[in-house]
Amino acid sequence: MRKTIFIITTLLIFAPMGMLLYKSQVLNLSLLPEMVDDVWNFHLTARPKGDKTNFSFPIPKPGPGIKISDERIRSKNFEVFIDSNSDSTLATWSAKEPIKQRVTYSARIDLKPLFYKNIPKDFTEVYPKGLSRYLKVPTLLPEDNAAIEHLEKAILEGSEDKTGVIRKIYYYVEEEIQRHTNIKTIHETLNTGKGSPLIKARLFNIMARRQKVPSRIVVMVRMPKKENAEHQKLSFTFANEVFLNNKWIPIDTNRGFFGERPDNFMVIHRNYEEVEKIISKKKVSYAIQAERARINRYNKAEFKKEVVKSDSIFSRFSLYRLPLPLQTMFTTILLIPVGTLVLSLARNIIGIPTFGIFTPILLTLFFKETSFGFGLLFFSVVVAIGIGQRYVLDKFYLLAVPRLSIILTLVIMLMIGYSLFSTDIAFVSQKHLAFFPIVIVTTNIERLSIMITEEGVFNTLKTLFGTLVISVLGYSLYSIHALEMFMFTNPELLFTIIGLLILIGKYKGYRLSEFLRFRDLVRQKKKLESASNDLP
Amino acid sequence: MIFRELNNFGILGINNRVGRYILRHNKRENYPLVDNKVLTAQRAEAWGIAMPENYMIIENYGSLKNLQLKLQHYNSFVIKPANGSQGNGIIVIKEVIKEVVNGEIRIICRRSNDKLMEIDELKHHISGILSGLYSLSGQSDTAIIQAKIDKHPIFNDYSFGGIPDIRVIVFEGYPVMSMVRLPTRSSDGKANLHQGAIGAGLNMRDGSTNNAVIRNQVVNVHPDTGHKLAGLKVPFWQEILDLAAHCYDMVELGYLGVDIVLTPEHGPILLELNARPGLGIQIANLAGLVPRLEKIRLEAPKNVLAKERVEFSMKSF
Repeated sequence: MRKTIFIITTLLIFAPMGMLLYKSQVLNLSLLPEMVDDVWNFHLTARPKGDKTNFSFPIPKPGPGIKISDERIRSKNFEVFIDSNSDSTLATWSAKEPIKQRVTYSARIDLKPLFYKNIPKDFTEVYPKGLSRYLKVPTLLPEDNAAIEHLEKAILEGSEDKTGVIRKIYYYVEEEIQRHTNIKTIHETLNTGKGSPLIKARLFNIMARRQKVPSRIVVMVRMPKKENAEHQKLSFTFANEVFLNNKWIPIDTNRGFFGERPDNFMVIHRNYEEVEKIISKKKVSYAIQAERARINRYNKAEFKKEVVKSDSIFSRFSLYRLPLPLQTMFTTILLIPVGTLVLSLARNIIGIPTFGIFTPILLTLFFKETSFGFGLLFFSVVVAIGIGQRYVLDKFYLLAVPRLSIILTLVIMLMIGYSLFSTDIAFVSQKHLAFFPIVIVTTNIERLSIMITEEGVFNTLKTLFGTLVISVLGYSLYSIHALEMFMFTNPELLFTIIGLLILIGKYKGYRLSEFLRFRDLVRQKKKLESASNDLP
Repeated sequence: MIFRELNNFGILGINNRVGRYILRHNKRENYPLVDNKVLTAQRAEAWGIAMPENYMIIENYGSLKNLQLKLQHYNSFVIKPANGSQGNGIIVIKEVIKEVVNGEIRIICRRSNDKLMEIDELKHHISGILSGLYSLSGQSDTAIIQAKIDKHPIFNDYSFGGIPDIRVIVFEGYPVMSMVRLPTRSSDGKANLHQGAIGAGLNMRDGSTNNAVIRNQVVNVHPDTGHKLAGLKVPFWQEILDLAAHCYDMVELGYLGVDIVLTPEHGPILLELNARPGLGIQIANLAGLVPRLEKIRLEAPKNVLAKERVEFSMKSF
């Protein structure tokens, strides 16, 4: 028998783990949907200056590290042309009358950091024709040209390949040119060793092209930090990209990134030279805002596609196939077994007393559906009713079932009262099932008043406290979103929970509470033993 | 490991009690015999085991109607739920006061704590019992009106209010450990350890006390009478153990708590049985149950008469 239990328990616990391994290693499924914390709601508004019937502005284009969805260009009074060449996208708005209104563009943008760890040596000599515009060195003053030549001699000596050359130029511009926003020409920069971010990007661009490396200045938007105000206006900033080993490699001499672009920078256009005039403040006034999309912390939709695509047995049993309301329900319900695990541990291994067996779980659900503070308050009122009714209803000599039903009705009246006078209408209308758990809890509350008379206030409070502690523990489980999603994504773990419950069920050792309960016994026993040892 | 000492002293924990002893040795179908005191009484009668006389068994609200008429024949009685536990829902009436109002007999009951109860209050309490307020599972229940037992004079100095009772743990028919529960003022005159009654461990050899506790704390004197607890020796000890061992044959529960009271007239009689006896008895005795249970499991002869089992226990523990 013991062997059978052992085998069953082992199977129950480890088979789901095996499935997890299979899913992640063989099917290459991720065990959790991806966090979509780096998704941004991006808004752009722009208006041309002067009387123009058409104007253009760059808008984001999907590419490495950037995904775009829900794009919206409002075009009620305009015609909109989207010109998407291989690198960037320009939107052109045109109307019959001069444009006086602001045009808007919004999109949901998913940014991923770019990182090229090892950039191999590059000896490319001949580039495709399309890249020739990225090799054209702009004309400079002769003295500036001389200055740059002089620089090149100093810093590029002994370089063999283009990757090495670019790295050296990067180090020079990044470290030797100080950031100074007022210095806006190459000439000044070469003389002072200072430059604005745009000039630094320009200087790098020129130096790279002089070495026959295709290079361009990218226009970026730096996303706000979390702490910053939501509606902070963002402006353009600049960095470079160079073409090494058939790839555009991001380089930022202003913030010090080589082959790397963090996910708080969004590229809006990949060739500054092309849009220099368009985005000039002289020609257009614009405003850019971005805020984190907080809804839908896990990208369930994407994960569903992933699961279905895998075409394994799991795709057939995945809860992601269910309609969305059911999914939401199961996300909540699947944590209940985890809660029972906590409950079993608390009761059978620690020895925390509770009212009824599943009261803590019901309370947990109530807290989860409403909120912790409100739930606690409401529960306290229900407890007060449970105790108070005894003093009032006792005089009526009522039978127990009608008496219980009266308490239940009182609690329901309390809910109606709350719903009518609460300003929080959304709470009432959305959570129409939220009150059910507390209704069930009410039936246990009657026992409370009996317990007070029979086992005393102290024991009752202890039990009440134990009940609350476990429900709070359960509630804290719900605050771990990853756990919620993990159970929802891998419901086979329920078998593991059964296995663990069997283990707890087979536990025959002492409870922690018994350590306290028998503490005096042990102390007395020891005293007796040492006394008998002292005798000759 | 903080449990090492508990283990060394062989103390039985709840999980172990349930998993190793109750679930293994108590058949579920025999539970009603001990949980329902009406069934226990019937079985006991058939087996010739003495229990307090049941005056009345009330199974439905209808029979509450003429309660007054029925109760006036008795001078004292006890009301208890058939499926109660830990003494919950028990009311002891020590005096029935009869008065004639407008040619009708009215009765007022005096409880053991000297509070007076009108017949309506009594009916209310009984209907509470019937609707399952005190029953183990919360299901509807039966109320028993039972003869009140008098205190044996030996306990006069050792108890306050109600009647002391003797708890014997019986394992596979062998008495294992025993204690006497002495009511105190703080236990409201009830022999209930949870409410603050004294639990005094008894030597299996002769029924003399070996130690006493109130709420897990060692005490030497009764807090209300001031009497030293060490000198107490429970009389009819052999008979008490015989009765306890006999109960095993009656209900066939391997792990059993037998509650016995001493009456002045008839000696020890069975009060009630318990299929899930508590663990506080170990504190009262300053001894663990595990070594004794294991000794019985491993060494005691099987299928022997109650007399021989008692002999074994008296010698061994």
